[in-house]
Amino acid sequence: MDEKIKQALIEIVGKENYTDSLIDMVSFSYDASEHSHRPACAVWPSDADQVAKILRLANSEKIPVIPRGAGTGLSGMAVPIKGGIILDLSHMNRIVKISIEDRLAVVKPGVVYVDLEKALEPFGFFFPPDPASGKVSTLGGNVATNAGGLKGAKYGTTRDYVLGLQVVLPDGRIMRTGSKAMKSVSGYDLTRLFVGSEGTLGVVTEITLKINPKPTATSTALATFDSLADAGNAINQIMHSGIIPSALEILGRETLAAINENTDLNLPEVDAMLLAETDGYTREETDYQIKKVIQVFEENNAREVKQARTDKEVEDLWAARKSAYAVLARIKTHFVLEDVTVPMTHIAELLKGVEEISRRHDIQIATFGHAGDGNLHPQILYDGYDQEQVRRMEAASADLFKLAIDLDGTLTGEHGIGLAKAPYMTLEHDPVAMDVMRHVKKMFDPNNILNPGKMGLEE
Amino acid sequence: MESKYEFEEKYREQILKCSRCGFCQAVCPVYGATLRPALNARGKMLLLKEVMDGKIGLDDQLIETLFQCTTCANCFHNCPSGVDVPEIIKAVRQDMVRAGSCHPAFEGMNEVLEKHTNIYAEDEPEDFERVRNRKAEYVYFIGCVGSYREDEPTMAALDLLDRLKVDYTLIDEVCCSGVLEDVGFSIKEHLAEKNMALILETGAGTVITGCPYCFRTFNDKLQYSRLREAGVKVVHITQFLQDFGFGVKTDKRVTYHDPCDLGRHCGIYEEPRNTIRKIATDFVEMPDNRENALCCGAGGGVRGAYAKNSIAMARRRLEQVEEVGAEIVLTECNSCVHNLANAKLRRQKFRVYSTTEFINELMEEAE
Repeated sequence: MDEKIKQALIEIVGKENYTDSLIDMVSFSYDASEHSHRPACAVWPSDADQVAKILRLANSEKIPVIPRGAGTGLSGMAVPIKGGIILDLSHMNRIVKISIEDRLAVVKPGVVYVDLEKALEPFGFFFPPDPASGKVSTLGGNVATNAGGLKGAKYGTTRDYVLGLQVVLPDGRIMRTGSKAMKSVSGYDLTRLFVGSEGTLGVVTEITLKINPKPTATSTALATFDSLADAGNAINQIMHSGIIPSALEILGRETLAAINENTDLNLPEVDAMLLAETDGYTREETDYQIKKVIQVFEENNAREVKQARTDKEVEDLWAARKSAYAVLARIKTHFVLEDVTVPMTHIAELLKGVEEISRRHDIQIATFGHAGDGNLHPQILYDGYDQEQVRRMEAASADLFKLAIDLDGTLTGEHGIGLAKAPYMTLEHDPVAMDVMRHVKKMFDPNNILNPGKMGLEE
Repeated sequence: MESKYEFEEKYREQILKCSRCGFCQAVCPVYGATLRPALNARGKMLLLKEVMDGKIGLDDQLIETLFQCTTCANCFHNCPSGVDVPEIIKAVRQDMVRAGSCHPAFEGMNEVLEKHTNIYAEDEPEDFERVRNRKAEYVYFIGCVGSYREDEPTMAALDLLDRLKVDYTLIDEVCCSGVLEDVGFSIKEHLAEKNMALILETGAGTVITGCPYCFRTFNDKLQYSRLREAGVKVVHITQFLQDFGFGVKTDKRVTYHDPCDLGRHCGIYEEPRNTIRKIATDFVEMPDNRENALCCGAGGGVRGAYAKNSIAMARRRLEQVEEVGAEIVLTECNSCVHNLANAKLRRQKFRVYSTTEFINELMEEAE
């Protein structure tokens, strides 16, 4: 880092909140994807004012700035692919306010998801998106990536809960968007433009979130299916039944086999396993819902159906789903975890297509995911030091994205575009939409300093 | 490809299996105290990956993170990919020492144990008013922290053993030197030999120790295998005490801090709780307990080398003591007692004890 700029940054954040030491530069080179690139330095700002000063400086010097939360993203969006300054927002981690009466929480971007959950618990409230990385990921990161999770089918994603933001623009101006009111149709919806914008338009320095009362009862059931078509039909019919499960998870054959090879769970090796959870405030209510789901399972030739009667049984039914990621993570030295998402009617086809792609490219792909909202996680397992396997992984990924788009789906349901899916943006978005996105980027960030190289915005 | 470092031969696969999910960040005490990702387990694994890829050297620049790990194993316990970070760190530190990169505090510790009998280089041991090296059923092995820094808990433990009419002896013990393996060096054979010879001379069938680290060293390390061959059992005092009744009770609110060396490393969670429940009517758990317990920040040499962060870690643990409204926090490790007591703020009115010291105090009051 240029000495003059280094001194200017130190003046803004203080010596202890600036680093260019090797250990920090290496750790800030990565997120949870396979991408990496070193930044020139990193800073830990403590408020919006410091963020504004940093951006003003970077904008005038045309240095890239990469906002970062916990760095748990899976598509390379926090990776400083063009170097520059890492803006680690984890020190801005105060819960500013919880107002149950107004049904909202105001937080700084570095608050960890689970810390808000803990703070809301005594009130019987929660912030529903529930990302799998919630113990670590920050709310700022959740907003920047529009994070989703297990409960997406019933409760939606981060986007559905952001009422307003404080944002620092690349030129250093500070802006407030949205409202603290539950409803607002005042002007353009700038809030939503920033949710999921992957740090390319501005830096979020405060978030106002809508919160929900937390359901106190759940019922859980599991079914196995010999045929993928039957599992697909069951998913479709659940949608018809009027029940929206709080979780409806699916595990494919390859995933079940991998779990069996690596644990003592002894799962049946069938085409698909579906796990459903219904939630509410009384056991009667949730049991009523789960019975309807079970009926649908049975009508669609489920080989086996189980309903949990005790907490221990609930845990047992979830064991396979909860072990999936960890089991698959241990099989090969490298993996890519995709998150293609299709309309629910196409889930069976997507699963079948993934199996074909796996065979075609001779590469192991295990799939699990959220059947309730069509969001699947094909996990491609490979050895990253074997160039041939890397090539096959990339070819399989490309085919997977094509398949999702052909099935009226999207490249990414919850992980974002970042670097990993940037080359495929034009598969999903027509030239007009791409042109509009590029113009939006240019309007907010004419010098392209904020998280450059992401989302396929550079022609 | 020939490995440049020994850690690579043993742990290459594991390091590569770190999927960078960052879940360790939720539990790493060093990260929790510093919010600096380079000091978290993931940061360490990334650096090692770059070392293995030949992008960076295993040199002095890495000391600050690779020698700043309490080896509490909370990351390993929470790692979806099963990466055994503490073992990897220990192996890497040995490679670093061989390559000439070591934290000065640990170089110093190694030198001290060349010349002295304990990590504090104190040559006048406390005699604890007991006859040493006599024939007895049990040997009580104190450990360096208990001998030279936390002598009150040690005196209390010995008084308690007397009250319980246990036939034990102290020995002219020297440092077990197990900690040296954690910080890049090796156990000192001459120290191990001396301890073993003194223990065997007493004719004792069992060694009781109040130090979870000495407990692990005696039971796990090759250099102490002669004890095992001679059929001498080594138990931690918490295991020994669980069969006793004490006839005293406190109505104060008591909580328990799991030492990493006893808990996550040895799976000893219930023995201390069984004992505490006998004496405390109001026993409460902290939010993070048993295998999820937060580290006190003292382990892995961090207290000596990075005192400020070590205290910050202890403070985070003490916040949980406050949260559950405990008046007494008990633990089974003198290092934990030492660090927690040092970190306690004046406004925090609870007291930190080793379980034995607390029981002894109750019995003393009852007499």
